[in-house]
Amino acid sequence: MDPLTLGALVGISTILVLFSGVSVGIGLLIVSAIFLMIFDGFGSLELMPELLFGKLDSFALLSIPMFIIMGASISSTKAGADLYEALERWLTRVPGGLVISNLGACAMFAAMSGSSPATCAAIGKMGIPEMLKRGYPPTIATGSIAAGGTLGILIPPSITMIVYGIATETSIGRLFLAGVMPGLLLVSLFMAWSIYATWKSGARKDLQQRVYSWKEKFEILPRVIPFLVIIAGVLYSMYGGIATPSETAAVGAMLCLVISIIVYKLLNPKDLWAILRDSTKESVMILFIIAAAGVFSYMLSSLFITQSIAEWISNLDINRWVLMGLINVFLLVAGFFLPPVAVILMVAPILLPVIVTAGFDPIWFAVILTINMEIGLISPPVGLNLYVINGIAPDIPLKTILIGSLPFVACMVIAIILISLFPGIATWLPEVLMGKAI
Amino acid sequence: MTNDITENLPDEVIEKPFLIRVILALSTLAGWCSASMILIAVFITCQMIFVRSVFNQSTIWQTETVIYLVIAATLIGLPFVQKVRGHVNVDLIPLLLPMRVRYFLAIFTLLISALIVAVMFWYGLEYWHIALKKNWVSDTVMEVPLWIPYSALPIGFGLFFLQLMADFFSLILKIESPFGLGDK
Repeated sequence: MDPLTLGALVGISTILVLFSGVSVGIGLLIVSAIFLMIFDGFGSLELMPELLFGKLDSFALLSIPMFIIMGASISSTKAGADLYEALERWLTRVPGGLVISNLGACAMFAAMSGSSPATCAAIGKMGIPEMLKRGYPPTIATGSIAAGGTLGILIPPSITMIVYGIATETSIGRLFLAGVMPGLLLVSLFMAWSIYATWKSGARKDLQQRVYSWKEKFEILPRVIPFLVIIAGVLYSMYGGIATPSETAAVGAMLCLVISIIVYKLLNPKDLWAILRDSTKESVMILFIIAAAGVFSYMLSSLFITQSIAEWISNLDINRWVLMGLINVFLLVAGFFLPPVAVILMVAPILLPVIVTAGFDPIWFAVILTINMEIGLISPPVGLNLYVINGIAPDIPLKTILIGSLPFVACMVIAIILISLFPGIATWLPEVLMGKAI
Repeated sequence: MTNDITENLPDEVIEKPFLIRVILALSTLAGWCSASMILIAVFITCQMIFVRSVFNQSTIWQTETVIYLVIAATLIGLPFVQKVRGHVNVDLIPLLLPMRVRYFLAIFTLLISALIVAVMFWYGLEYWHIALKKNWVSDTVMEVPLWIPYSALPIGFGLFFLQLMADFFSLILKIESPFGLGDK
């Protein structure tokens, strides 16, 4: 059979299997097994455990459970509340100060947790009730947190970036740096929209502002220091040449566990087990998808599907920006249904050669891809963050949360356009700090 | 997408048969083992950075040990993650289906999952057995006998198979709802 037809058949089968409700990792193994068995013979099945083990046999993967522990331990403490309160006290006089504090807290929390749902939950628990109490419209209160939470997968450390780095053999250190400026751009766009929407809704004049004394403002600062220590520690060990991203992640995990125990008095073994249990659950889920995707990409490659699709797209002779537009639409649709990790692992091996041949920077593309995945996190039908917000604020209908999130989706699309027009937004920082990629 | 098992139990809680309870306990134990391995990996990595940067010592065993620990944690953690419904899936179609069709689809997905996991268990066992029989070792200074890390394949997939079977019988016996979705 022609590899392209075979590729289409694999694509349709994968969609059918995954939409049946089977878990993503298992689904990828099923599709791989069926096609390997039919086209490479029954004997090829015995390669599967070896391939799966081989995919996991990498030191780089260590960073995934480590950063997840870091996020889980921070999320289980009052850290989010402290961060939120500190920013609120300092930014209270800024117009729309509370929503700005929330978005700032989301960005900072994302820098520690690397997880979108965790960021949403940690800041939203405090932020949404407070914003509602002070007269902010529910759409802005919930939409801003849902969108702010998505920063978790863009601002370093980001699990999505690690997975992309592993799937495409791109430097994780560079990818992390590439996410910083676009992350700040997104926060700025989110803030600008929130201020405008608050002003336009007419709620601005009714907003109740609390005035804090200088004593109150300085009093809160020591509670934020642990965060700064973690961020500084992680950045120093990663970019100071002391440790690799995986090793840095382990240091971060250790620091966060120690801070949770000492500063936040998380001494109950049950609480510690909860951190480990949640981290294990998420890490195993992601690592299993990575391992299964390794078997899947072996199947694609051994049946010459990857090469044929890449060649076919390269021969299409269309403008590279049209190609990028089409890729974006495809990623957007995939992100509506699948978790970011699965999308990256399934499409990166096919898309990367196409991207590079079309003259795009793989680091820049990682940022574009991640923002696309962020849109999926606040769009139906999956929209994980929408459900997290719905869980925190059950009184607000899901529809209101969704309507509130839509303008932030528009902000993300604007960010994609801006980063496409000015790729330096993503590539400048890694080039300045780490030199040009070879 | 993921569902907390405790939130989606049917209203009428039926007591689980002994065998299912044993499998659930095994999966929980596997979860403990997996979590401990990840935690040990954190400590070893930190120790490695410390001895390398402070004492300028070479780090021979740490990297390899940590890699094998994370692999084992992943494979042995599979049944636990299945038990707590942590394996992410696309539940859009099941949600749209009527309860009865959803029930049959859940049976189908559990059986097909169990089948592929059984295949992985069988060939994983074979792979482990070859490594043991031929005394394969890693091509590093440590020369780790590879049957040790490879044992995670049959153990992990074997326990994962049992957990899928426990889920299957829980569904048949109406202890659990299809896809853990309740009456949504």
